[in-house]
Amino acid sequence: MTTESVMTKPGSAARVAPSVLVGIGAFVAVGVYVLVSSLGLGLWTSLGPGPGLFPFAMGAVLVSMSILWLVQELRRPSETPDGVDRGLVIAVVVSLALLAAVMDLLGFQLSMFLFLMYHLRVRGRRTWVSSLIIALAGSVGAFYAFNYGLNVTLPVSAFSPLNVIGL
Amino acid sequence: MDILNDLLGGFAAAMTWQNLIFAFLGCLLGTIIGVLPGIGPVAGVALLIPLTMNLDATGAIIMLCAIFYGTAYGGTITSVLLNTPGEAASAITTIDGYAMTKIGRAGAALTIAAVGSFVGGTIATLGLVAAAKPLGELGLLVGPPEFFALMVVGISLLVALAGRSMVKALISGALGLLISMVGIDPVAGAPRFTFGMDRLLDGVSFVAVIVGVFGLSEILSYRKDPHAATVHAPGLRSLLPSRTEWRRSAPSMARGTGIGFGLGLIPGMTGSVSSLLAYGAEKKFSRHRNELGKGAVEGVAGPETANNAHANAALIPLFTLGIPASPTIAVLMGAFLQQGLTPGPTLFTENSEIAWAIIASLFIGNLLLLLLNVPLVGLWTSILRVPASILTALILLFMVIGAYTINFSVFDVFVMIGFGLLGLALRHLQIPLAPMVLTLVLGPLMERSLRESLEISQGDFGIFVNRPISMVLIGIGVLIIFSPLLKLRKPKALDEDPET
Repeated sequence: MTTESVMTKPGSAARVAPSVLVGIGAFVAVGVYVLVSSLGLGLWTSLGPGPGLFPFAMGAVLVSMSILWLVQELRRPSETPDGVDRGLVIAVVVSLALLAAVMDLLGFQLSMFLFLMYHLRVRGRRTWVSSLIIALAGSVGAFYAFNYGLNVTLPVSAFSPLNVIGL
Repeated sequence: MDILNDLLGGFAAAMTWQNLIFAFLGCLLGTIIGVLPGIGPVAGVALLIPLTMNLDATGAIIMLCAIFYGTAYGGTITSVLLNTPGEAASAITTIDGYAMTKIGRAGAALTIAAVGSFVGGTIATLGLVAAAKPLGELGLLVGPPEFFALMVVGISLLVALAGRSMVKALISGALGLLISMVGIDPVAGAPRFTFGMDRLLDGVSFVAVIVGVFGLSEILSYRKDPHAATVHAPGLRSLLPSRTEWRRSAPSMARGTGIGFGLGLIPGMTGSVSSLLAYGAEKKFSRHRNELGKGAVEGVAGPETANNAHANAALIPLFTLGIPASPTIAVLMGAFLQQGLTPGPTLFTENSEIAWAIIASLFIGNLLLLLLNVPLVGLWTSILRVPASILTALILLFMVIGAYTINFSVFDVFVMIGFGLLGLALRHLQIPLAPMVLTLVLGPLMERSLRESLEISQGDFGIFVNRPISMVLIGIGVLIIFSPLLKLRKPKALDEDPET
């Protein structure tokens, strides 16, 4: 549910790992939210089951299973799995979010070119030549291939100097 | 003779040059996805759904099916050459496959695996042809209560078989159902869980969810393998197995076909269980069992035949009953639904031509893969030599394009990122992902049949136990869910299978 659950360092083996507690807490929270809001949707109408019935049942499953899981963990904590490569997660997620944020403004080609250059040249340490070739093929090349080959239009820039030259 | 006529009609439709190209492209992409370690079949098929949305239904489904079983062929290549399985279903092949590489028989191992896959896949597809009509007719007796009960059985099997803990599997299943409920409620038309956002009225796009949960989270949890070996493509001359190798693998292929076909029919069983059991069968019954582990061709032929027979047999419950037997097939089912086709008994009455064209294309695809796989082994190994940073960048590129083109909006890219993080968290908490995919696709159908049933019975839940078929099915479902209390054993391989 949350990224914190992934980032937390593994605790001592005998105790319940903090990331597991955060996870269980998040599932219970979601479950309770679903239970409350499905009551508002109406469990039963004069015609039969209402829109809230099915979500209500699922919320109940989520809450009860999370509590059962907590009981299991308290009895016998599970082994904490390996952590994740935090640098990788942050780099990929932030770069993707930035790309999605500017794609409609800068257009697909320019934003994807920058995105690919970041991953190839900055993070991947490929040579300038190979980075440029792959980034151009993946941005400008993909734009035209999808446009003419598959009839799939990718966005062009919203700004006039850029979209005039076809970016 | 009806079936034969239908099948011939299917071949005529599948042999148009466009459909042949789609099958070819699907096989090619499937093999590449199978070869690449970073991306599995679930995310692979999901990723390519948006790209096929502008095609006609037949072409789109032919291509996606080809991708689906192409991955089963491709997974073998890295198992044999690199000692790392491209897909979980080929994991057991590493033992004798890589041993054969070390004694210079890599080419023979790949050829035997491809022929075995072809045999297993083709026989399983023949099974689909034979089962389609009778099972489809049986399926027509199914009303909303029976349909609901059938899905209860399918989901409970998958929940029971996925991962180590039933509690976690149920959490995953409930999450999938809740995600599928976002948007306008299908019966009363009330918006649910949209948080006041107009974009969510149509629901969360399942393609974006699956690409995020299965694909992006895989990239996010990537860790460098310090023991990665370098690959060498086997020379063309070593590709031909010797006469003894052919003779020794024939019985293994027969056993593998039987095992894979049987297990493929059971929802929740994954291809890796089939290949493991097939390896076990070789250990028991093969005449050369003492050579297993040292590069015996039986250790490649048995499991590789089994996993392909499994992959194709798993399409039978989808086509005839509308029940997806594995996460990848659930994604495939999502693609059917997006093309306006409902898999299940009505498929053969309402869209008979499309259904038979797809079945015919399965035969064609298996043949194409046999022809493609072995001669192009040099190409596949060169893909493996591409540095990880370039592959990651290119896979991310395709994920962004795939997510964007669902609705031509960056909103779905953000959805994908969000679900990528959710997938990473679930992996970290060791919550199996398979039940979530299944309920995500089946959720809306399940809810609709539940509510329709209760409207028929005017709110009486007795409708599920008063009708004989649904009573039996519900009984089976309950039994499955409580099976841990009965201390039934399940195959160990399912615990470790990343697909579950």
